[in-house]
Amino acid sequence: MQVVGLTTPQEVFVASRERKFRINEILVIEDPHQGSLIGEVVEANSYNRFIPLSINHDFVDARVIESLERLGYSISEDEINIARVKLRNEASFPVTTGAKAHLPEFSEVKDLLVRSTPQEGLALGEIKNTEETADTMDENLKGLFYVYTKGEKKKTKNVPFLLDLKSFQQYPHIGIFGGSGSGKSYGLRVIMEELMLKEIPAIILDPHYEMDFSTKEEGLEGTPDFKSAFKKFQIGEDIGVEFLALGKRDLLDLLSAVKPLTEAMSSAVEILHRRGDTLLSFSSRLELLAEALELGRIRIEKILQQDMEPQEREKYKKMKELLEEYPNIPLVSVQGIAWRLRRLQASGLFNHNIKPVKEALLQGKLAVIQGPIWLLQVFSTYLLANLYRARRDYKDGELKGNAKGEYFPPFVIATDEAHNFAPKGYDAPSKGIITEIAQEGRKYGVFLVLATQRPTLLDETVTAQLNTKIIFRTVRGHDIATITEETDIGAEEAKRLPYLPSGDAFVSSPLFGRTVAIRVRLPYTKSPHTLNPFDEIKNYRQKAEERLLDLLETHLPIYETNLLKVIQALNAEAPDLKLEVRTLKESLETLVKSGKLQKTDTPFGAMYHHQ
Amino acid sequence: MERLNENLKTEFSIAASALRKRLKERPDRENLRDLIEKSGLGRFKRSRRMTNDELKSLSEKGGIVGVDGSTNSTAGSFPYVITVQQSLAKSTAVQEEIYYSRVLCPLFMQEDMDEAEYLELTKSSLASLEAMAAIEAVEKLKPAVILVDGSLVRLKIEAKSLWGDLKKAAIDKGILLVGVVEGITTKIISAALKESLPEAMKGACDWELLFGALDVGEGLEVVPTGLKEGFRTVFMRTSLDPKPIGIDLLEEQYEYMEQVENLVFTLTPQDGRGIPLWLDLVDKKVKISDALLEGLLKAYLGEDFSEFLTPKRAKRSP
Ligand SMILES: Nc1ncnc2c1ncn2[C@@H]1O[C@H](COP(=O)(O)OP(=O)(O)OP(=O)(O)O)[C@@H](O)[C@H]1O
Ligand SMILES: [Mg+2]
Repeated sequence: MQVVGLTTPQEVFVASRERKFRINEILVIEDPHQGSLIGEVVEANSYNRFIPLSINHDFVDARVIESLERLGYSISEDEINIARVKLRNEASFPVTTGAKAHLPEFSEVKDLLVRSTPQEGLALGEIKNTEETADTMDENLKGLFYVYTKGEKKKTKNVPFLLDLKSFQQYPHIGIFGGSGSGKSYGLRVIMEELMLKEIPAIILDPHYEMDFSTKEEGLEGTPDFKSAFKKFQIGEDIGVEFLALGKRDLLDLLSAVKPLTEAMSSAVEILHRRGDTLLSFSSRLELLAEALELGRIRIEKILQQDMEPQEREKYKKMKELLEEYPNIPLVSVQGIAWRLRRLQASGLFNHNIKPVKEALLQGKLAVIQGPIWLLQVFSTYLLANLYRARRDYKDGELKGNAKGEYFPPFVIATDEAHNFAPKGYDAPSKGIITEIAQEGRKYGVFLVLATQRPTLLDETVTAQLNTKIIFRTVRGHDIATITEETDIGAEEAKRLPYLPSGDAFVSSPLFGRTVAIRVRLPYTKSPHTLNPFDEIKNYRQKAEERLLDLLETHLPIYETNLLKVIQALNAEAPDLKLEVRTLKESLETLVKSGKLQKTDTPFGAMYHHQ
Repeated sequence: MERLNENLKTEFSIAASALRKRLKERPDRENLRDLIEKSGLGRFKRSRRMTNDELKSLSEKGGIVGVDGSTNSTAGSFPYVITVQQSLAKSTAVQEEIYYSRVLCPLFMQEDMDEAEYLELTKSSLASLEAMAAIEAVEKLKPAVILVDGSLVRLKIEAKSLWGDLKKAAIDKGILLVGVVEGITTKIISAALKESLPEAMKGACDWELLFGALDVGEGLEVVPTGLKEGFRTVFMRTSLDPKPIGIDLLEEQYEYMEQVENLVFTLTPQDGRGIPLWLDLVDKKVKISDALLEGLLKAYLGEDFSEFLTPKRAKRSP
């Protein structure tokens, strides 16, 4: 391996006859005058020195090359491999042509590759193309996890990529970007697993209902058990908001999450909601006011003149008072608010509180928050604000020398679809709190892990605060532009973004001072629903078919002329199938097609029977 | 454009019109083919690309070997020159490559010779290097076919002493010895058709007459005469290039003519200049370039002594 051709202080070409180069590989160049220089392969080419790529600008007849191969010639025999190598640090003057180059021993590049220990770092994956260097690595860094490559699950043979926990103090927030199917969810899962292993309290908002850690990936040895390390909470079922603790702002957010509020409604809420309101007091105020507005002041006064139960009287008196107190609120506004409140109530949101989440965090667990995205958005606003406040109050108290405050630990907040929670260009309930944490969370030890398919749609203030970025395959030009703007990712890497395989990513982090190409490790656990949609359809069809066949069993052989009777029997056994002559006939034909039944013509019409 | 010397212009235009006249007098395609067929000078034939099975069986029999040589001399004035030569035999099937090389310098020759004699010597020296590589290829690489860059007749004449060994070895081992000629210099056709050709064409080279007269993959096999005795020759258009190449085969191996034609056709890129890609590759590999020669001089003779052998004129940029 040696330096060839024209060199500059930033870049050289290295040629080798024996070894093919791989992108991102690190090479050490032994410049006779400048000592060892470290560089990274940014482009790798191989070509046969003697077979011209083109004759008169046309590609050489592929047939001829194929013929030569059939005559036993291996086109790689006279191959030369060329790497374009970018130097880590600019050299003082151009590298000497002819300088030798070699693959580094681990000790030569340790600081460049590993910035933590397995004990103190999150093992996110392996650094690509570092096998040879990994051979000379300390034993405790070897084979830390599995990777999934070329259809096989294998212990890693590369240098591990470790994200140091202590570095969060300095570089607190992580962004995960990548298109659909690029590996974001797997990446998030790996980070969550690592946090659980280190017992770091964390919350993940899970709009896709995919963050469950109880099912182990098959075929791995020594998988840790996460069952007691995380807790799943459904909004409205396990957790919710305490109405009493809601501020006006929270309430407005909640109501508008159901359906945006009109301006009149918003101001009505501002007026109607009182400090110390319970759900009951607030909702009965709404209902009563609505009823009063419908009846009108005159009718109410008339009613009050009649004889009635004291309780009844009390009610109408209240109505009259309300009308006097809120003379300018339109009926439709009150009705609109009441309708929204009823929907929230029906979701069970108000029947619970966030205590279980707080407890999980105090126990160093991962809290998985699940719910439909509309609810998750508002609920998370309330939840995050509360948790953040708890942490801040404790920390501020400590600073003021007032350590009596209730302890609340530092924690990590993670979410997929982050652009929904902090969108660029418009307001969303959760945007305020996320921006606040992005800007100030570091002080209090509250860290963000934000994943999104569309970095371009994420609020810029937030994006700017994401110090470490993990970038998966990205195809959209807009997003690539955003990424090149927001990270130190170079033009070379940007060009490769659309072609990264799922699970491969570039990590851009000030800690490493360069972009590191990694393959995210295989998670220890898998999502409860990783079935690919087509397998899912197939599975479903198969199951339905088997079930029908089971049901038909006792009725075989079936005559075409007698379908009605069979249908009656079948519908009695399995009413959910809702069979009709047409559908049963279609199903029978399908079964014939797939070879499960046979069809024979008889004097009584077609007969369906066993093989 | 610079002002040209009037006299030069006139001279040139006279030569050009003579050339144009000659080109116009070339018999047209149909006419020429007719003449050739009637004269019994040879026959037209078509070759085809070999099938994968044929190629595979060739590969099982040892593949093919390409043999080529290269010579290059420093630009000094005689006898202050050094000539570097090498030959290479390279197989498609065996990794080992056979190289022979030689360095000549008239200053240290036993006998006195003039420049023309020295030129002859370098020619035969190169031919012998090629023959040596080919002979060793027969022994060591055991191919099914040896493709030599250049005509076999040239080897026979210029490497007299080794030619017999090479021919015998090839025939004994059943290895087809084939010469592939890119620049045809023979005049077989014009010699045979003398009576029927227009005046200007009487001494024309074979390639000139056949230029454009053959279809891609088509060949003209000529009956052996004179110098070519003991060989069989076919002129063939192997690519889109209208200029034919020549293929030589030993008389003793004549029965394989057709396979050889097919093989050469198969290995020649359509858009190339008509010679098999394998010979192209061997040529590139064996080539002693000016840079290489200069490197050798600098490394072994040192800058100061190299000056001796490289006249100022050669160093002036073109
Ligand atoms: N680290 C990895 N190792 C092996 N395979 C992976 C890895 N990451 C992703 N994959 C493969 O790619 C598929 C898609 O990954 P994932 O579900 O993480 O994509 P995503 O970026 O979250 O997509 P979406 O935005 O559509 O949710 C996975 O089902 C898996 O097959
Ligand atoms: Mg996903």
